[in-house]
Amino acid sequence: MRRGLMAWDASEVPVATIEARQDKLREAMRSGGLDAFIAYTNIARPAAVSWMSGFTPYWSEGIYCLPLKGTPVFATALSKRVAEWIGTVMAVGKVEPTPQPGVVIGKKLAELKIANAGILELDDLPAKQARALMESAPDTAFCDASKMFAPIRAEADASEIALIRKAAALASECIERTDPQAASVQDLVAPCELHARLSGAEEIFINVAPDLSADARLKRTDTASTLADTFALRLSVAYKAGWVRMTRSFARTSAGATDFDRLQQVFDAFVPQSGNSIDAMLRQIFADNGATLKSWQLEQPRGGYPLAIVAGSEVDNTWSASAPSVLSVDVETASGHWLAARPLF
Amino acid sequence: MAGNAANMSGGSTLQKARTEALREAMAREKIDVLVLMGNNWHADYLRYGTDFGIQEGQGIALVRADGSTTLLLDDAAECERARGETAGCDVVHAPRLVQETRDRIKRSGNRSLAASPMHLLPFGLLKLEEDDLRIADGAPVIEQLLMTKMEVELDCIRRASVLADEGYVIFRDAARPGRKDYELIAEIEGFFRSRGIAENFMIIGVGGQEVRGMAPPGGKVLKAGDLVTTELSPCVDGYYAQLCRTLVVGEASETQKKAFSVYQEALEEGIKTVRAGVTAADVARAENDVFRKYDLGKYTTSEYTRVRGHGMGLFLDQKPQILEDVDIKLIDGMTMIVHPNTYHPDAGYMVLGDALVVRPDGHECLSTLSRELFSVNAS
Repeated sequence: MRRGLMAWDASEVPVATIEARQDKLREAMRSGGLDAFIAYTNIARPAAVSWMSGFTPYWSEGIYCLPLKGTPVFATALSKRVAEWIGTVMAVGKVEPTPQPGVVIGKKLAELKIANAGILELDDLPAKQARALMESAPDTAFCDASKMFAPIRAEADASEIALIRKAAALASECIERTDPQAASVQDLVAPCELHARLSGAEEIFINVAPDLSADARLKRTDTASTLADTFALRLSVAYKAGWVRMTRSFARTSAGATDFDRLQQVFDAFVPQSGNSIDAMLRQIFADNGATLKSWQLEQPRGGYPLAIVAGSEVDNTWSASAPSVLSVDVETASGHWLAARPLF
Repeated sequence: MAGNAANMSGGSTLQKARTEALREAMAREKIDVLVLMGNNWHADYLRYGTDFGIQEGQGIALVRADGSTTLLLDDAAECERARGETAGCDVVHAPRLVQETRDRIKRSGNRSLAASPMHLLPFGLLKLEEDDLRIADGAPVIEQLLMTKMEVELDCIRRASVLADEGYVIFRDAARPGRKDYELIAEIEGFFRSRGIAENFMIIGVGGQEVRGMAPPGGKVLKAGDLVTTELSPCVDGYYAQLCRTLVVGEASETQKKAFSVYQEALEEGIKTVRAGVTAADVARAENDVFRKYDLGKYTTSEYTRVRGHGMGLFLDQKPQILEDVDIKLIDGMTMIVHPNTYHPDAGYMVLGDALVVRPDGHECLSTLSRELFSVNAS
């Protein structure tokens, strides 16, 4: 669950910013012949509703409905008392607590005589909610609106960039505080967790690849204990719904640390020019430094996920240069793997 | 360290026991394939079937009657992690999770399908009905298994409960005037990570008579006289144990002490009622009768409180919910928290709750922390 700072600050995300996002969405809805846009949210898929309302759930689920005209409605399974709290952290929209969010939104569609409603990621919508929604709005035609939403989401406004920069700063501070000589995974990660949350992080997921000489897989911190001579730490940090990842590889020996620092400098200096050339450019810069690129990926907010792979060594390229992203690499060196990730603005 | 890292062999024993129990239940219900869904909110069903603790994205497990299990995950990094952290599962990266699951079910040709939890079943899987494949509710197969714990599961919950007690001491020591609510939670999270605990459910309330519940921290600054309420719930090997306590910043007022005594009495009465064979309603009634005795009955209604306790295990808030209209019978081995948390008109929202294991002749109380209204230095 989310248990870090969850607050809406109008100086960080003004109501006007949220309204501008909704205006963009409404413009696309008009072009696409939709009278309403519907998005589901829970803590695994919060990004679309966070972007269009300012609200991220800490638990449970809900459905946000943006009609072409009128006030957006957020129906949530959270209780009436929690709904009062949601009212203080959701910038735009009316909160309706209900055990059946699908029914409430369906009835709203019927009341507004919505002819065509688009649903984000329709196939993924819980069937119980989808059925309730559709049965409560029998005169509404429903379609998947994910393709309509994607290009709008591929552009970031100043507020979103600022939140992501803050999350990146928190992640950097955690990395700076990391002790490469930590006795165990737990000794390594606890100070990161503490610092991030003391500084106002909404969430932090920490993963560790405890022995880069053998395995590049990032484990959860309750399934790894011993740190080898080379290891990697991945921090996925959220600040008020702005997410970044940062991965750093550490070597306990001074020679290893020098090699890793050199690769880090190369990686930090890399600026992607376009999706198609990223693969070749990355291969070249690491080859020039005696290493081999094994894989890479770019992540950006897409649909319900705060970070989804939009380009990489194994996926089609849908990367947008006009929004922040996270670049991750897995590089093979003489001593084993070297992992890195950083946000790109 | 309390987490999996120190208990990988135990984890294996645990998963073998769960797998066997699941297969038996599937055979009993004549189910060919059990479809289990999960994400970071509801990780319990997926964890029971695969032992994978999902962190990001979504996952679906296809547990087959022949003993094989396929775990499909839409997040590439989670997929790699699952390959390292689960045994006995075929792990598949499925960026188009629903479509891939649908295709696999169709290809398998199985006819007796069930899914759990039904409220997470993706809409896209209903398209299987076009191929005459209907998905039944898998609750009869797995719900009882989730509610009633085996001894290997109870070991995890006992360890989590010890950490909840220790964590509350950290929380209490961190509470002082001028600190923000999220800083208290930061301290406890740092402590839990140092002990190998990756997950925790926790909400908080700060203030006085005006506070009507708990929520995530929003930046409230503690001041003298405030009540600070929390329920904290560390998770060991996937199993949660919860503890609810209230503290006062500074000396508790007579009003606060008097109000809290009602919660102490209600908790005691609720806990005294717990034994195999009674219903969840019996426990709720015992708690609520105490409030009614003091003319506080209205504060036991849904206007002021959600539940008077609940089951806990791989999900923090599992069945049975402790409410006067829930007639689920308590069974030996169930784990639950009894918590008469609610609003008090004189003092504000107060919480108090202990974790228990239901036993044939009573209960085993897992929480060892004093049930007092704690007080911390206000200077």
